[in-house]
Amino acid sequence: MAVPKLEQLSKSVVQGPSLATGAIPTKDWMDIPAIFKPGNYAYPAKQEKVEYLNSQKDLHFPNAREWNPEEDDWKLPEDWKEIILKGLKERLDKFRSLKIFMDCCVRCGACADKCHFFLGTGDPKNMPVLRAELLRSVYRNDFTLGGKILGKMAGAREMTVGVLKEWFMYSYQCTECRRCSVFCPYGIDTAEVTMMLRELLHLVGVGINWILEPASNSNRTGNHMGLQPHTFKDNVDFLADDIENLTGVKITPSFNRKGAEVLFITPSADVFAEPGLYTAMGYLLLFEHIGLDYTWSTYASEGGNFGLFTNNELMKKLNGKMYAEAKRLGVKYIIGGECGHMWRVVHQYMDTMNGPADFLEVPKSPMTGTTFKNAASTKMVHISEFTADLIKNGKLKLDKSRNAHVKATFHDSCNPARAMGLMDEPRYILDHVVDNWVEMPENTIREQTFCCGSGTGLNTDEIMELRMRSGLPRANAVKHVIDKHDVNMLSCVCAIDRATLTSLMNYWNPGCDVCGVSELVGNALVMDGENRQELDEGLRTLV
Amino acid sequence: MKLDEAFRNYREKIVDRWVDYTLSTYESSSFFKKEKDKFANPVGGNVREALDALFVLLARNADPKEFVAPLEQIMLIRAIQEFAASVAVGPIHAVKHITREILAKDKERCHLVQELYDFEFAVDLAVLAAFDLYMQCRERLYQVRIQEIKTGNFILTDSKCPTNLLKTNIQESIKAVESH
Repeated sequence: MAVPKLEQLSKSVVQGPSLATGAIPTKDWMDIPAIFKPGNYAYPAKQEKVEYLNSQKDLHFPNAREWNPEEDDWKLPEDWKEIILKGLKERLDKFRSLKIFMDCCVRCGACADKCHFFLGTGDPKNMPVLRAELLRSVYRNDFTLGGKILGKMAGAREMTVGVLKEWFMYSYQCTECRRCSVFCPYGIDTAEVTMMLRELLHLVGVGINWILEPASNSNRTGNHMGLQPHTFKDNVDFLADDIENLTGVKITPSFNRKGAEVLFITPSADVFAEPGLYTAMGYLLLFEHIGLDYTWSTYASEGGNFGLFTNNELMKKLNGKMYAEAKRLGVKYIIGGECGHMWRVVHQYMDTMNGPADFLEVPKSPMTGTTFKNAASTKMVHISEFTADLIKNGKLKLDKSRNAHVKATFHDSCNPARAMGLMDEPRYILDHVVDNWVEMPENTIREQTFCCGSGTGLNTDEIMELRMRSGLPRANAVKHVIDKHDVNMLSCVCAIDRATLTSLMNYWNPGCDVCGVSELVGNALVMDGENRQELDEGLRTLV
Repeated sequence: MKLDEAFRNYREKIVDRWVDYTLSTYESSSFFKKEKDKFANPVGGNVREALDALFVLLARNADPKEFVAPLEQIMLIRAIQEFAASVAVGPIHAVKHITREILAKDKERCHLVQELYDFEFAVDLAVLAAFDLYMQCRERLYQVRIQEIKTGNFILTDSKCPTNLLKTNIQESIKAVESH
């Protein structure tokens, strides 16, 4: 009697069961189509942005048009299927890793429950193994003997418009965070499968605006915001003014100064948006404190690289400005600010894409004499490594009590943690600049860290619900330390995190703020000649 | 045999079935049901923790205000997943049916089914509270979206960035010149 009633209860009377309800799936995953509705997809790229990118040397972004994912007709080119299959063949020939990733998965399922999108949605196509299977099934069908003969029995399927739509849906429900690859016994990097899916989609003009507009801005003015040199300079000068008001210390940053020892590059969000602004103030204070001979560039005015989220060629082109500016200005090496995916590009791709940077020197701290051998090849050192070394050598005057208002925890940003192994330096800094900070549970930090849920260009507001779902595993771990230790500050070393975790906290854990580690350094620094006001909230204090 | 004793004895069984029922609303739910680590399995872990806490409150006829904490733990999650409002809230209701069924199957305790009025009324109140919380969560979500736009985190596209404004102004002035 009660059981049928319970079944009735699980269905909406008004709408019937939605995609995520209705319990046990009765169809094979291949037979469930991707359905686009408001809130579950990011807006397509504007025609003018695609046209602009396609007009640029060495870039290929064809089929610029107005289109709507909710409509049946995506206005694909007539020969879209040939384009996709040819594109896949080219990539299989070009990238040995892709070929191996397509062949070696044994579907053990170790990755299945490690993805924050799966954990937040319960959608099986968000299991990394199945997300990769979306591409692998087509690969089998057209590029393997078994698939050609046995077809569906061998897990193969024909490339259709439905498959293409599914690719669009699920390659943009992956933040390329690589948590799944940590658990893969074969080391399959599912992020690279997503990258290939996105590359292939761009060949037929399927991409999202939140990625292509910043990328085209970056190509035009050097940064995602489209800030021109004078605006970029003004913004940094405003921050210097704020620092003077707060601490009485006058800082005069230099721009495009030839002959400086160091070029400093950070995400442009740090000089424009809260709470990144305070992190940038931290950088300014730190460099002033040690008297570093450095300069900003108004052309290499962006550390981030949204090209990474589109294709190899655009990533390479946008990254090129870092070395080009370093060469033009004649600096010895580069210091990079707190950013996530920037460091994946710098650490894993820059050297082979745009290097070798023979004209630069291996970074050596002028204050401590430490040579950063880990950056011997790229010539670019992370601000946290640089700062930790200063602290270790006693070069900073720090007063932890200036962070008394902070009870922090630390979020390992995916790329610094998993793509470059930067895990201990930010923690070492925290040990020295705040009295109180605690770790989140072990399976949510370091190489097992959970993504903010909005990386790889998914930090756009039209998919806010999706972002809250995919950010649930991270927010859940933060809630634990809030409940247990009264944590009120989530610190991190990534600009996208600073923006997206703020929204994530506002939904899941209101009252918990987000900051960069360098902001906490800036708060704690005792500056020469300072005339510091009572700063109850550090650099955030309104005076 | 008293009802409160029956609730104590059957707490685990009722909560297990309630959790199972709630998690069955997800398309791929076996992992959500199986994994006990709350950090590896946030949906399953939070649902289990919250429903267990809520059951204890319902069984002892607690002040409905106490329902808010465990209900919020669940509604925050379900409000942003792809559920219709009724499906998001529906599982809270299920404990009525589950409890009735379990007691009815126990020959020594089946008479207690007649005494479930207060318990079921408490569940009704919890369902109503869940609706309120569902709406609060939706509103919070919209606020987060508005806040993101206002604070300048939404600046990569269509922003009020000075250069972008300049761009618009130039384009507008070009249009104005052209139209003359």
